[in-house]
This record gives sequence, C-alpha cells and structure tokens, in this order.
Amino acid sequence: MINTKELEKRWYRYKTKGFLAILAILAILTTLIYGGYYILYKLDLNVDHIKESSRPKAVIAEKITEDINTSTTNNMDMEINRSGVMLAPSIPIVDLEREKLKDKKSTSTRVARTQKTRHQRVQSSKKIVEAKKSTYLTAKELSVVSGKTSIKRETKKIDLKGSHSNYMGIMKKKFNSNKNPREAVLISKAYYNAGNYKKSEEWALIANNLDKKLDESWLLFAKSKYQLGKRKEALKILVAYYRKSKSVKAKSLIEKMRTKRV
Amino acid sequence: MKKSKYSAVKNIFIDSVDKDNFVELESATFNYQVLKESLDKPLKMILLFGKPGTGKSMLLNTLYHNLKAKKEIHYFDAPILSEKEFLKNIYEAMASQKIPQNMRVNFDGLLKYCQKLKGQREVMFLLDECQLYSEALMEKIRLLSDTRVVKFVITLHKTENEDVIAKEHFKTRIWEVIELKNANPEDLEIYIQKKLIQKGFIEVSNMINKKDIKFIHTCTKGNFRETNKFLYTIFNIYEYYDMYRPEKINSTRLSKKIIEMAAIKIGYIHD
Repeated sequence: MINTKELEKRWYRYKTKGFLAILAILAILTTLIYGGYYILYKLDLNVDHIKESSRPKAVIAEKITEDINTSTTNNMDMEINRSGVMLAPSIPIVDLEREKLKDKKSTSTRVARTQKTRHQRVQSSKKIVEAKKSTYLTAKELSVVSGKTSIKRETKKIDLKGSHSNYMGIMKKKFNSNKNPREAVLISKAYYNAGNYKKSEEWALIANNLDKKLDESWLLFAKSKYQLGKRKEALKILVAYYRKSKSVKAKSLIEKMRTKRV
Repeated sequence: MKKSKYSAVKNIFIDSVDKDNFVELESATFNYQVLKESLDKPLKMILLFGKPGTGKSMLLNTLYHNLKAKKEIHYFDAPILSEKEFLKNIYEAMASQKIPQNMRVNFDGLLKYCQKLKGQREVMFLLDECQLYSEALMEKIRLLSDTRVVKFVITLHKTENEDVIAKEHFKTRIWEVIELKNANPEDLEIYIQKKLIQKGFIEVSNMINKKDIKFIHTCTKGNFRETNKFLYTIFNIYEYYDMYRPEKINSTRLSKKIIEMAAIKIGYIHD
C-alpha cells in the first residue's frame, strides 16, 4: 500500500509552489501593466510634442500667412471662444463683452483709418513740399505733415461690474428654460472668475453631463478641481480627456498644471 | 480487516496483454479490421508499429485468440533472440512435432520444407517486439515469407532508431503498414469507462469527469500503458483512504487531490 502521509506532504509542497508561482506571475503582470501604462502615457505625450515640433517649415509658414490673413477675424472669434460667449444678445454682459470686442475692432479700424489719412496727408504734404521747394513750410503746413491736427479721441470706458450682480440670476433662469450646456459653461466660468471654485466645478459638471464634447466644460472642471487643491485629480481628468479628444487646450493646461503655472 | 472496493478497481488497471482486457475503441477496432483484412490478402509481411503502450501487443493477442480456431496462426509474444531457437520454434509450429534437444533445424532445409507446402497451406506467425531481433534473423524471416507459405505479422516500437529500421530495413519487404497512435482525450475517456463498466464499476466510472480525463491525458499523453499505471496508482491511494480515512474521500467524484498525489507519485508532476 502507498505511503500516503509522505505523499500528502509532497502534495502540499506542490500546491504551495503552485500558489507561489501564481502569485509571482500576478506580481509580474501587475508590474508590467502599470509599467507599460506609464511608459505608453509618457510616450504618447512626447510623441505628440515631437509631431507638433517636427511639422514641416513650409506648412508652418503657410499657416503663419494664413493666420495673418485671418488674424482680424480670428482675434474676435478667439476672444469669443475664450469667453465661451456665443449666445443670444439679450444678456447684458454678453452684449457688453461683444461691444467691448466691437470697440476693440472699431478702434483698430479707426487706428488704421487714421494711419491711412495720416499717410495721405503726408503724401499730400509731400506734394506741397515739392511744389514749394524753395520756400519754408508754414506752421499750418508743418502741423499737417506731423499730424498735429488730429483731434484727441475720448476713450470709452465700459463698466462691466454694473450688470454682474444680475448676471447669475439671468443666466441661471435662462439655463433653466433652455438647458443649454453653453449657458452652464458660462455660469461655471463666471463662478470661476469670481473665485467660487466649488460652484464652478458643479456647473462645469452640469454642462459636461449635457454635452460631453464641450471642451470648456472639461477644462473648467479640471481648473476648478485644481484650484480646490485637487491637482492630481484634475490632472487625471485632463489626461483622460486629452487621450480621448487630443484637445490642444487640454494639453497646454496639463503642462501648466504640471509646472504649477495655472 | 475491512476490504475496500477500490482494491478490485485498481486491479482492473494492472497492465496485462489479455484478450478479455481488450477495449473496443473506435481506433482499435479500425486497426483490428485492417489487420484482419490484410491477413486475407496474399501479403508476405505486415508491420504493426507505434510507440510503446499504444496497444500493439494487445491487438496481436486479440487477433490470435479470435483467429486461432479458423486459421493456422501462431503467436510469439516474447522475442526469440537465438536464431537456432527461432528456426526450431517455426518448424515445430509448422510440422506440429517436437525436435529433440540435441538436434537443430537447418535453414535451407526449412526453406525447402516451406516451398514443398506452397499452395497447400498458409501459416501465419505473429511476432511481437521485433525490434529486438537481429538483422540476420530478420533477413531469414524475409526469405521465409518469400515462399508465400509463411506470413509474418511483426510489431515494432516506434522510437527514433527503430523508425529507421522500419523505414530502411523493411522498406521493400513490408506490404502493409499499420501505425498505432496514442489515444485522444475522447478515446481515453471511453477506454477508462469501458474498462470500469466491463467489470461492473459503474458508480466509479461516473466519478470521473471530463476535467479528470483531461488531466490524465495531459499526464499520460494518451498512452494506454501509462494510463493504466496512473489509474492503478489513483485507486491504490483511494484504497488507503477508504480503509483508514474514509471521511477524506467522496464517492461521487474523483478527488483532484488524490489524482495530483498519484501524478506526484509517478513523476508526472513535481513537488
């Protein structure tokens, strides 16, 4: 008959070895998965960075010219985008902001126009100078050449604070009526600017729940988290979003958060 | 002292070349039919080859017992290594008479004797373990088979060296080759169950599930001899537990622990 006691001992040894082997494999696998994930994540960001920097110069040049051509219109668009305001003009602050932007645009066109007239005047003064080669210019003529005749413009000041107290109420009312995620983003942004990060986070989340593709909602949510001292969580969210969307804004915000420059 | 039912169960798996232990598996039945049909053809030599434990001896033994009443058939289950003894045994089988100890059979004489019987008789010899025969003796076997009076069914182990013998030495002489292979898990399951059921241990047969068969097949690689050894060891351990620690075993399914213990004992797995 078989000596089962000895055999049982050997069986227990065999089982223990098997268990240890499984544990070792699991440990190796876990290390590999975490290591791989970390390396991939790092590489992913680096590759994107390399891709951006190694784009051909010609393309960049083309882009620059394109940018120059569209700079005037883009500036405004960008301003609008940055504030996230693309909504109905019935909201006072939006109107004011638009006005501000319009003012900016009109100021720039006015400056351009002034420069143009000044140039024309210089041209005409040159003609005058040419006509009167042998004579000195009169004081009037000199003032025309140097452009002293231009009247000083009064700078228009827009008071944004005046309407702010009412802004939240109107916006929330508007949001309640149409449930537009952009309204929620606006509210979140207003709260963020006011330093109420908790509320900002809440509204960013509301906006995000309504529209997952809304870039601003992700960024505001992460920024609010960051300001609330949850840097790691904010980074995690942004990285997850960046992986999905490849958003440039998200990437730059990640970099900022990493270097603590937010 | 109490007697365990597992004592009888383990004895089923004692390796023996007994026609009663022949299990009719699909592959074994097919090989048996091919062999039987080959014997009816005017072939000189038939080669049965396969790895050890694939059932070559069992097939020869079954064939011998099934045909001995109908045909003039002789079975040499153990190899006769001396040429003198071999020729003597062949002659005695054919002439049905004993040769005195101080006399020997002359090969030329035997050849002439066979030639005289041409067209009158057909004698079949089943030779097991032919890889042990010398080349000179194999040459004589070939010459005898050329007379068409004596027909040989020979078995060879298929190992690397013997494979060469099977291919080179008999290449031109073998007319029919039957290769026996190890069993697949399905065949092995039928083999084990039939063995147990044949002896009336249906409840023990029901204890073995597919997982157990898979493990047994992995360990034995479908080799019948190894399977017998493995099952013998398993039921040997069962016997011990049944007698001394019955609370440790379950009669509804085979214990994985005991299977693994048997595998450790034989050396299929290492502690």
